[in-house]
Amino acid sequence: MNILILVIFFGLSAFTLAAGVMVVTVKNIIHAALWLIASFFSVAALYLLMEAEFIAIVQVLVYVGAISILVLFAIMLTRHVTGEGVRQLYQRWWVALIVAAALFGVLIVPTVFNFQWSVPTAPDQSAGLSSAVQIGTAFMREYLLPFEIASVLLLVALIGAIVIAFEERASRRRVLTLAEEVELRRQRGESLRLAATPTAPEAQNTGSAPSQP
Amino acid sequence: MIDILLSLLGGVLPSWLIYVISFLVNTTIILIVTPVTFMMMTWFERRMVARMQDRLGPNRVGPAGLLQAVADGVKMFTKENITPRAADKWVHLIAPVVATAPVMFLFAVIPWGRGLEPSNVNVSVLFVVAISSISAVGLMMGGWGSNNKFALLGAMRAVAQMVSYEIPAVIALLGMVLFTGTMNLNNYSALQGGIPLLGSTLQELGVPDLGLGWFVFTPIGLLGFGIFFTCVLSEGERTPFDIPEADSEIVAGYMTEYSGMKFAVFYMGQFLFNYALSMVASIVFLGGWNGPGVGLLADAGLPFLAGLLSVVYLFVKTWFLFFVMIWLRGAFPRLRMDQLMSFAWKFLLPLALINILSAALWLTLMLWCTGPSCDQSLWVVHIAGVNPLDWMGSAAWVRQLVGLVVSGVINVGAFFWLLSINRRPGGETPAELAQDQVFGVASLP
Repeated sequence: MNILILVIFFGLSAFTLAAGVMVVTVKNIIHAALWLIASFFSVAALYLLMEAEFIAIVQVLVYVGAISILVLFAIMLTRHVTGEGVRQLYQRWWVALIVAAALFGVLIVPTVFNFQWSVPTAPDQSAGLSSAVQIGTAFMREYLLPFEIASVLLLVALIGAIVIAFEERASRRRVLTLAEEVELRRQRGESLRLAATPTAPEAQNTGSAPSQP
Repeated sequence: MIDILLSLLGGVLPSWLIYVISFLVNTTIILIVTPVTFMMMTWFERRMVARMQDRLGPNRVGPAGLLQAVADGVKMFTKENITPRAADKWVHLIAPVVATAPVMFLFAVIPWGRGLEPSNVNVSVLFVVAISSISAVGLMMGGWGSNNKFALLGAMRAVAQMVSYEIPAVIALLGMVLFTGTMNLNNYSALQGGIPLLGSTLQELGVPDLGLGWFVFTPIGLLGFGIFFTCVLSEGERTPFDIPEADSEIVAGYMTEYSGMKFAVFYMGQFLFNYALSMVASIVFLGGWNGPGVGLLADAGLPFLAGLLSVVYLFVKTWFLFFVMIWLRGAFPRLRMDQLMSFAWKFLLPLALINILSAALWLTLMLWCTGPSCDQSLWVVHIAGVNPLDWMGSAAWVRQLVGLVVSGVINVGAFFWLLSINRRPGGETPAELAQDQVFGVASLP
């Protein structure tokens, strides 16, 4: 049984690393995002192997369900849809390599020297199965202050996002349609990002078309 | 399943092999039952919609057209497998699998009846939420990999909709997690025994277990069910939320470039997602397998009959919810994208947040310590040396009633308050919009 777990562990680790390497090497940026999802998944499987159900599921929920979707959305909204021709390696890639290696070293060296390298005993079954309860208790008792600070930080980010999004529309109660928006910008004499389309006649057409018999 | 196999083969085989066998058996059952369910669902939907539109629907293949799905399957198999030349071949190919496999995963944690649990995951409510959000990745892959504008637009719409409606759905479920104190779907049905409203709090007074203490009868559960079912409609892309595949606007959305078996897999994923979420809704809110008779039969020492009845109950509830989906499809037109988004963010989300607050208040009332012996309790607050809720006593049903009244008042108030603040603001009523500078009279709804 132990050997089986070791085999699964090394298989998952290898897949995680391979997927991570694919993320930074593939040319197509959407493929990179998809490989990132694969590596998130195998990390979740590693958590599951450690009988941390709750963490594994939260990993899937947060990283696959939210962050990856956000990444994919951002790519599709900002880049050319085909996504080809993106260079992953720039000329000074070795600087980034050194910085990354140094950060990794700072993190891993104290762990290697300070960790008690002994085989951990099997966790208490009844305690291990209710990890959600344990995490909740820890948040509400020992780590209440960091938890509250994180909540306030998230709230600030949320309000900031709303303020940025509604900067110029705060006075208006209704979301404008595209035609109204175009009309408004034309009145203000702003440059239109939708430069290719003839704007003013279009807005007129959309407006009057349904009323024609 | 594991217990039966362990008692049968315990001495013969090593225990890990028994575990592997039991998982294989469960997986096989799920992988056989769900596609058959899908076939029945397509037949049911087509017949029902036909009935609502005053026509017959499929009625040629087999008795009452029951084998229509088989004929469709054969047709799908024999169709040409088309991949657009400019498509991203691998992403295009994998997308249906990524969209459908998580839906199959869902059935691993959903109990089918009393004591019929494929697996015992301790946080299965969270599992359902997490896994169902993966299929959005599949939709996005399908939309992008097809290299088609309609497909990409459809995928964007689908994912935006799924992500928005996931939040109220999760918060509605969270209210029930507070209510029950467990995140294991296997425990939900057993907790909904007893009589309506009061549940099993009157058991010591000799009131029989009618199996009707469904959470949907309480104010918190009713509101939660409403929110959750609306979100299920939206996540499963059912009318009136089927904007991602609005065929009058964007052909078939992210499925535009799919044909043959790949299309069938997408389609199956969608239908089974509806089925799985209907099942979750009926387990969490509608009492699951609990109903009149199940508890009585189990108490009378007939666990097998109780199990059988419980499967029937869950089955009927799930199919009823699916029927409601079809009914809505037959009755309602499609919403617009901005209406969809403002409904989720301006109405459902605040309502769900208020619902969870009233669930927390209910929990406080249930746990509030009364009587002389509770000076040290965490759950008591003294005002000027007096315990303000001391009159509640220790009877659970009194507390339950008080909690129901309080949460009911809060929920009804919140509902009407949100309705009133979401009304069109002054200056934007239809008559005033008719004076609109840009559109003129044409913008009258």
